Amino acid sequence: MFSAIDISTSALVAQQVRMTAISGNLANLTTTRNEAGELKPYQKRHVVFETDESIGTGGAAGVKVASILLDDSPPRLRWDPGHPDAIREGPHAGYVAYPAIDMMTEFTDALAVARAYEANLGAIEIAKDLAQQTLRILI
Amino acid sequence: MNPISPSSGMRIALSAWDAAGANPAQSPETQFKDFLVRSLAEVNAMQHEADRAVEQLATGGDISPAEVLTAVQKADLAFKMMLQIRNKLVQAYQEVQNIRV
Repeated sequence: MFSAIDISTSALVAQQVRMTAISGNLANLTTTRNEAGELKPYQKRHVVFETDESIGTGGAAGVKVASILLDDSPPRLRWDPGHPDAIREGPHAGYVAYPAIDMMTEFTDALAVARAYEANLGAIEIAKDLAQQTLRILI
Repeated sequence: MNPISPSSGMRIALSAWDAAGANPAQSPETQFKDFLVRSLAEVNAMQHEADRAVEQLATGGDISPAEVLTAVQKADLAFKMMLQIRNKLVQAYQEVQNIRV
């Protein structure tokens, strides 16, 4: 009977992970080095969901994060020869390789996360109300 | 897609009901008692789970607030349901007590 609430909670947790990834993408909008300090622009993180059959009962299924994938699109080059991480030689000399992240896309995704979160909260609210109303049969 | 089946608690209740109807020689009280005890244990387990979740959140464990609040809400709903069943049982008992002999 609580599996509806459990499923919605799994969605809340999954959406939180997605929001974390978006925050990370926005935070690393201009990151030009990796954790080891090497010259490698940050790669955008994509959160991929999959169904979680262990949560729901009979037919219904919850959701869980399958994996967090790295975006392979090429970095954006911006002209900034004074930057210490600018490309020294070759055809792109003087350019700085920045992560291929679009701020607007990230914000739109964040809005989608907020709407999905609200929807699942609404579903929990309804499931909770139904459970409470059911108790009135006995009164 | 798998067929939607009723939840386990409902199945137990229904099977107890069927047994009582189909075979009166079998004592249905024992089955209902078992069901009641199992429900109580389940409610208790939910309360413990909620307690554990709250503690984990308060001590900075790796748990999201949504999970904690859901655990608390589930424990609350389960307890309320158990309370209603208890009230109904007491009410039935009192009605029997009021029968004039």
